[in-house]
Amino acid sequence: MTEQFTQAGIPLKPLYKPEDIADLDYDTQLADPGQYPFTRGNRLKTGKGAWIHRELSGEGDPSISNQQIKNLIAMGQTGMDVIGDSPTQGLMDADHPIAEKTAGTQGTSLCRQQDYNDLFNGLPIDSMSTSMSLPPSFGVAGLFTAAEDMGVDPAVLRGSVVNGPFYGEECSYAIHMPFKLRVRLGTDAIEFATKKMPKFHAFLEDTYFIADAGLNIVEEMALGFVEVRHLTRELLSRGLDIDDFAPRIAFLVDCRMDFFEAIAQIRATRRLYARMMKEEFNAKDPRSLAVNIASHTSGLSMTAQQPINNVVRGTVEAMALALSGVQAMEISTFDEAYRTPSKEAHEVGLRTQQILELETNVSAVNDPFGGSYFIESLTNEVETRIWDMVMELEAHGDNEKVADGGVFRNIITNAAGRYAQEMADGTLKKVGVNAFTVPEEEDKLLKEVTSTKIEPCTQQVEKIKEFRASRNMDQVKQSLKDLHGMASQEKPNLIYGICDGYRAGATMGEMAGVMRQAYGRPYDPYQMVTSPIGL
Amino acid sequence: MEQRNKVSICVLGMDQHETGALAAARMLRDAGMEVIYGGRFNLPNKIIDDALQDDVDMIGISCHSWEYREYIDELMDGLKAKEMDVPVVLAGSILSAEDRDELMGKGVAEVFGASATPEHMIETVDRLCRDGAA
Repeated sequence: MTEQFTQAGIPLKPLYKPEDIADLDYDTQLADPGQYPFTRGNRLKTGKGAWIHRELSGEGDPSISNQQIKNLIAMGQTGMDVIGDSPTQGLMDADHPIAEKTAGTQGTSLCRQQDYNDLFNGLPIDSMSTSMSLPPSFGVAGLFTAAEDMGVDPAVLRGSVVNGPFYGEECSYAIHMPFKLRVRLGTDAIEFATKKMPKFHAFLEDTYFIADAGLNIVEEMALGFVEVRHLTRELLSRGLDIDDFAPRIAFLVDCRMDFFEAIAQIRATRRLYARMMKEEFNAKDPRSLAVNIASHTSGLSMTAQQPINNVVRGTVEAMALALSGVQAMEISTFDEAYRTPSKEAHEVGLRTQQILELETNVSAVNDPFGGSYFIESLTNEVETRIWDMVMELEAHGDNEKVADGGVFRNIITNAAGRYAQEMADGTLKKVGVNAFTVPEEEDKLLKEVTSTKIEPCTQQVEKIKEFRASRNMDQVKQSLKDLHGMASQEKPNLIYGICDGYRAGATMGEMAGVMRQAYGRPYDPYQMVTSPIGL
Repeated sequence: MEQRNKVSICVLGMDQHETGALAAARMLRDAGMEVIYGGRFNLPNKIIDDALQDDVDMIGISCHSWEYREYIDELMDGLKAKEMDVPVVLAGSILSAEDRDELMGKGVAEVFGASATPEHMIETVDRLCRDGAA
C-alpha cells in the first residue's frame, strides 16, 4: 500500500482510532470555544453571521475602488477588504517612472490623503470592518486621517491592516527599507492604533502572502509566529503592557486544498497562540489569549487551465474555513491566475460564502470536528511541528541578522522550488495541470472574463502629477523635514509624522523617501526622482 | 567541451511576483544551463545593458502582471538599436494564446503560457540559445 502524506508531508494512516488521541485531555488541550486554550474557537458562536463575508478588491484609482466596494456591499458583503496596487505596496507614487505602467492594475493606487478620502467616501467605515492589504504605516495613517475628514470618530473604526515587516522585502512587496525601519514602522502602526483606534487590528500577521510562494502550513505558521513574537517583544520593550495590544493581534492565513490539514492548521494556531501569550508573555486578559483568524484561500491552488474548476476549489477551501471557525474569509476568485478579480469573479466568491452559510448549516455547530480521532491527532502533530520550527528559527539568533543573512528568503525560495518540482513531477496532483489535462484550444469556458486586461490608470497618474504641482510646497517641505527629523531619532512614533505629512499634502512616496534618507538609504531606490528636501 | 547556454531570467517593472522567475531559473539550472538571475524591478534599459554585459544567449522574462504589454516595444526596439539579436522569451500563467500571437508578431522569440511543460520549455530554450533570435 502506498503511504499517504498531507501537503506538509505529515504521514497519514488509513484509519484513526481512540488510541491515536489516548492522551488527549479535554479541559487542558481543547476546552469549549471561548475557553483557554481556545482550540475549538475563540468564542462560542451562536446564530447567524458566523464569519465576515468579504472579497479582496481594488482596481484603478480610489474612486473606481470605492464603487467596487459599494457593488460588493450591494451583493451582501459584510466587511470591506481593499488591496493597494503594486506601487502602493512598494511605497511608490503612481507617477513614479517605474509605477506609471502598472498603476491601478493589481489593486488600487493610494498616494495621498485625498486618495483615502476618495476610497472611503460614502462607505460605512463607522459600522463595517475595513480590512486593508496595504503598507501598515500608511494604511493606518490614511484611514485615520480620512475618518477625521469624514467626521467619524477613529475610536469606532474596526478592521485590520496586514503587518509583515520581516518577509515582504525579499519575498513579496519590497519597500526598499532596512530591517530596523520596517520593524519600526510596523510597530509604530500597532502602537498608534492601540492608542487612537483601539478597536482596529493593526497587528494582522499576514502569513498568506509568504505562504502562497509555495510554503507548507508548518513553514507558514512558524515564520508567522517568529514575526509575531518579535513585534510583541518590541512593543513590550516600549513599555506597553501585553494586554494593551495582544487583543488586537490577528492572523491572516492561507487556506490550501489539503482539507483536513487546513482545519488542523487553524485549530493548532489558536492553541499555540493562547499558550504562548499566557505562559511566555504573561497575558491576563482572556482576549489576549484568543486570537482572531481570518483567511484568504490560496491563489496558488487556482489554475490558469479550466478556470471554472477554481470555483470548486474556492468552495472546498471555504468549507474548511467555515468548519475551522474563522472570523473572516476571502476566496481567491476563479480568475486569480490571470488578474485581480473581475466583477463576475467577485460575485461568485461572495455567493460561495453565502451558499455555505445559508444553505448548508455548516456553521450551526461550533468546531464540529472537535474530538475526532483524526483531526485531534493531526492538530497535535501540526502544533508540534510548527513550534519545533519556531524554536529552530529562533536558535539562529538575532532576527535582523537572520533576515539580512537570507535565512528567511532561503526558506521561501526553497519552498517555491519544491512546489514547482512537486507540480512538475506530479507529487502534488492538480486537475487540468498534471492530471486530466485538456488541449489549450478546447479550454474556452470563462476565457472572455479571464483574458480581459486592466489598463494602467493614467487618470490617477495625471491626477497625482497635477496635485504635486498645485501644492503649497513650503508646507509640504516642512512636513517632510519634520518626518525626516523624527525618523532620525530613535523614539518618535512615525505614524503621527505621516498623518501630518498627509494633511500637509505630502505623498506616500515622498514620506517613504525621506524616512529612507534618515536611515542612510537613497530617497528613491530606483534613483529616478529626487528628494524635495534635498539631503 | 560544448559551451553551456547562458540565460538571463528577470521580472519587469513593479511586478512583485517572483515565484515563477525562481522556478524558471531553477528549472534551467537543473537542465545544465547557466542562469544569470536578474530578479525583480527591471526596466527595459537595465535588461538590455545586463544582457550585453553578461553576453547572454537568451533573455527570459517572467510575467505575472500586465506590465510586459507596456514595456515590450521599448525592449525590442532597444535591442534592435544596439544590434543585439538575442532571443527574448516571455513566460507566465497570465499569457494566453492570443497574447502569444501578438507578442511573437512583435519579434518575441517564444511565449510560454500556463500549459507549457518543463520538457517543452527546456527544449525550446536550448534551441533558441543555439539558433539565436533569427
